[in-house]
Amino acid sequence: MERNEFDKILRDRLEGVTEAAPDVWEGISQGLARRHRRILLRRFATGAVAAAAGLAVALLVFRGPKDGKQPEAPVRIAQSVQPQEVTPAAPSGEIAPIAEQIASFTKNQVTAQAAVTKPAIPAGTVKEEVPAEVTPVVEEPVVEEPTVEEPVAVLPPEQPSDSRPMLTENDLPDGFWNESEENKSRDTHTSRITILSNLTTVASDNDLIYRASPSHASSQGGKGQASSAVEPVSLTNAPKFFSPLSFGLQFETALSGRLSVATGLTYTYLVSQYDMLVNKEHFAGAYNQLHYVGVPLALSYHLVQTPSFGFYASAGGAVEKCVSQRYVYGSNTLHEKVGGVQWSAKVGLGAEYWFIPRLGLYFDPSLVYYFDNSQPFSIRTQQPLQARFEVGLRFKL
Amino acid sequence: MSEPSKYDEAQLIAGCVRGDRNSQRILYERYASVMYPVCVRYLGREDAKDVLQDGFLTVFDKIDTYKGEGSFEGWMRKIFVNACLMQIRKGDALRYSEDIAESPELGGVLEHGVLEQLSTKEILDQIAQLPPGLRSTFNLFVLDGYSHAEVGALLGITEQSSRSQVSRARTLLQEKIKKLYNGKK
Repeated sequence: MERNEFDKILRDRLEGVTEAAPDVWEGISQGLARRHRRILLRRFATGAVAAAAGLAVALLVFRGPKDGKQPEAPVRIAQSVQPQEVTPAAPSGEIAPIAEQIASFTKNQVTAQAAVTKPAIPAGTVKEEVPAEVTPVVEEPVVEEPTVEEPVAVLPPEQPSDSRPMLTENDLPDGFWNESEENKSRDTHTSRITILSNLTTVASDNDLIYRASPSHASSQGGKGQASSAVEPVSLTNAPKFFSPLSFGLQFETALSGRLSVATGLTYTYLVSQYDMLVNKEHFAGAYNQLHYVGVPLALSYHLVQTPSFGFYASAGGAVEKCVSQRYVYGSNTLHEKVGGVQWSAKVGLGAEYWFIPRLGLYFDPSLVYYFDNSQPFSIRTQQPLQARFEVGLRFKL
Repeated sequence: MSEPSKYDEAQLIAGCVRGDRNSQRILYERYASVMYPVCVRYLGREDAKDVLQDGFLTVFDKIDTYKGEGSFEGWMRKIFVNACLMQIRKGDALRYSEDIAESPELGGVLEHGVLEQLSTKEILDQIAQLPPGLRSTFNLFVLDGYSHAEVGALLGITEQSSRSQVSRARTLLQEKIKKLYNGKK
């Protein structure tokens, strides 16, 4: 029998053949349910990014210049001290020691404000409602007693530092008022210098679904953009993806006491190795190098904030543009332009530690989802959901 | 219980695009028996079940990209073939030498009428017993109508290598069928 005849008979026998298949509907049904959850998650992430962006814009637009400003620390300090200075019932001989206490309010002593002032007040001369600590209640005596400045006037003139009517913020050490410090940090623009890298997100080769066929890519929706000259076609060697490397610069500004928004500029370098057809010629183990520049936008909610430690949750997204793509096969290289942009969404938690008031280290683990935007074949197209571990330095301006 | 015959294909596809689970179930029941033999001849019966499931998931995932050009069954078949090839690749089975020397064609190794004496199930099983690399090229070229250029691109081998492997697979298959036939006599 000739080979053509053999082939034809075989085709005829097997064309349209059916055979009772094992029942796999249960597995398909479960797979569809998982896929449905993924779609919901993707929509939620998209919505979250849109909402975050909208909220950020709205807050930036509608926030007045004074909005969000907390009462400044010096005012509150003065208010808390004044009732102790001016207790009208106190004899003049008893006021002087109090004034001396106030006059000796130096930077170092202020940190123990309650301990300094309270014992110095003679019993019965201070109103019962005068608190030992800083509270708004102490404002009441100030309003009722318009002569609050009088005791200050009797301070000895030879002590010029004592003639100041009240302490200013500059007289206080950093971090004296925790709340004040927190507000200050929120009110102050913060810049970040970020060095971030995906440390554990590259899956094993076998976990990746590799859509390699040029003739099937279109019929399957083909993840990964196939260029005119280069196509990933390997079925003999599994593609290899190297950990993405990113770094960037971000600026963060407070929207309210706990909410902040950050944006900036990032650079990401992606390298993949796979078999490819270059102008219809097969090359095994060739390299593809992608350079992305992106703009992230994220909202952070600060759950814990102390002068030295912070813990926060964040959500946002980024848009990235591939500015350069290079194929390296054999001793040749080929550059190709990449159209479109890469959108992504992320949610995560972060912790920051401030070594000194203006310099800190942060760790920002997050989940990032890269949407299918017809970008070149890479770890992002093959594994859209990735865990990212970002570390960096943070500077307060 | 669903009744596949009550729904025409366009309705089913539209239902699947909407994500209607009943339409998906009916589509599965209608085509599972057609796609299963395709999986068997690429992978053998053991792995065919897994790929049958993965293939249908891919079909439901991508069904909105079917534009009605060509038959729906042909479109599905391409997806299943691709799913089979990916499964073979996972096992690294396609790392079969692409430089197999062109084997001499053993014309006439199989007598006329032998194929007709075997059931389709027996023929499928004989194809499934070919070495994975040869089996893939043979299935793609002889039974699924891909050109050698397309086979080469799909498998990452040269066109010439595809020719060599198909020729080798044909010879091996004829020998297997002849052996089976002689054993039955």
